Amino acid sequence: MTTPLYEIRGVSKRYGSIQALSELDFHIGQREIVGLLGDNGAGKSTLIKLMSGIVQPDTGEVYADGCLVAVRSRRDSERLGIETIYQDTALVDSMSIVRNIFMGRELVGRWGFLSHQKMRDIATNVLRTTIHISGIDSPDKEVGALSGGQKQAVAIARAVYFKGRILLLDEPTSALSVRETENLLAYIRRLKEENVSSVLVTHNLYHAYLVCDRFVVMNHGRKVFETTKDQTTIEELTKHVVLT
Amino acid sequence: MPGGNILIAFIAIEVCCVVGALLFPTAFRYLSSANISVTLQAIPTIGFISLGVGLLMIAGEFDLSVGSVYTFTSIIAATLLGALSVSAWIAAPLGIAIGALIGLTNGLITLRFSMPSFIVTLGAMLFWRGMILLVHGATSIGFAPDDAFQFLFGGAIGVVPMSFIWLLVFSIGFHLVLQHRRLGSHIFAVGGNRAAAIAIGIRPGRVKLTAFAIAGAMASLSGIFSATRVNSITPSGGTGLELQAIAACVIGGLALTGGRGSMLGIFLGAALIYTIQDVLLLLRAPGFYLDIFVGALIVIAVILNQAVQGRARA
Repeated sequence: MTTPLYEIRGVSKRYGSIQALSELDFHIGQREIVGLLGDNGAGKSTLIKLMSGIVQPDTGEVYADGCLVAVRSRRDSERLGIETIYQDTALVDSMSIVRNIFMGRELVGRWGFLSHQKMRDIATNVLRTTIHISGIDSPDKEVGALSGGQKQAVAIARAVYFKGRILLLDEPTSALSVRETENLLAYIRRLKEENVSSVLVTHNLYHAYLVCDRFVVMNHGRKVFETTKDQTTIEELTKHVVLT
Repeated sequence: MPGGNILIAFIAIEVCCVVGALLFPTAFRYLSSANISVTLQAIPTIGFISLGVGLLMIAGEFDLSVGSVYTFTSIIAATLLGALSVSAWIAAPLGIAIGALIGLTNGLITLRFSMPSFIVTLGAMLFWRGMILLVHGATSIGFAPDDAFQFLFGGAIGVVPMSFIWLLVFSIGFHLVLQHRRLGSHIFAVGGNRAAAIAIGIRPGRVKLTAFAIAGAMASLSGIFSATRVNSITPSGGTGLELQAIAACVIGGLALTGGRGSMLGIFLGAALIYTIQDVLLLLRAPGFYLDIFVGALIVIAVILNQAVQGRARA
């Protein structure tokens, strides 16, 4: 087996009396789309946040390209090439679309002043080319004025523009229309061709089955089932998600 | 455009005043050079403080201690200047640095103990107010810097006082930071949605501490300017400035919840409070009319701002 791009071993995380993750092993291979499945409270979002660097594990180790690494903040995970589309989109309502896309990673000119025009052009372009969402006519629009689907599109555009080697998607399609969802799934597959691996968290097993190469089913913070696409059926996946 | 409403309101009020002054030049001496000079001298006191308080409010925190810091640090500077014969060029920056430190301390306590800054700085307001009396006492203290310092920060060019020119410079500087620098972007992000800012790799603690320090430093700066203008400091001089600063910010369109606001709005908010005060003085209205008008203005301004925001969202 080749060295995984990213791997966590024996990771546990406790929130007060709730054991969100216990002794979890998980890895992402090269050119691979992993479906992370499980019912609510299974620990999927905690795992995504942990890999994004905004939640620290109580115990366990993280490896990137086979080397032990410390991921203590979002900046560390960014250095490892991880981009995340969070379930709650992680957007600031009172800021414009452009400012949200470049939040924390603003482009600046020689004297450290923001390159507004450049960022606007990029934002316009990214919004138009990734997954086409209707109704976003100007990147200067305040995010608070957008619909749920449009917000998700902005979050997707942000992750896509800064794409590294791994894209984590936490319920990215919950507010998207059927067509927009299709576009996003097609895009994830296209990214795989460009050597970007993805982890897709979703409740929709059909979507997962459509694009994922491997599936990990979680329950109560543990991995309860793992299989590859060629060895399973959607019925079997459903059984494991619903019955475990 | 941020601060658009307040700009319209401000221009409308100014036009009314100017027309009134032209129609009744003897009864309403709004355009007399003495009046213009007095107004322009009064605006910076609240203006400097409001810039700092406003920046902090956009980052999602309050500072109620600015009035006490305003007096405390200028008294420290005056003591250095008078009793210890330190040059004003050293005493003033030291005073401002102490203000920044007090602001930073407010921030550290707020963040370390996850407390509302409203409570922390309420405590700080009383603490430093008491410290003024402990360190100095209740008597006034003189502040007599050298001539160059006096002119540069307390002089005037024609009817325009230097302090007003400095306020313009600082307002433009703050505007540039807020709209055209990374720090400004991060201040909006942290104040608008702290969780999102963390998720995207911004450190809210650092951004907020910077804003707290700036608020403290600006309060001190204002205190030094006032001391230079009148060459004396009254220990009770800063009382109530914190609420006036918040009032100026709210009139200028800042959201109390953070994440929204502009420096133009804050500047005009501060200017509007003093314009109203000035008009009431010129009309020889009793002092309590000011509270009545400013009180009403705050509420009306917030209602208007919310209406405009609602329209922008719809």
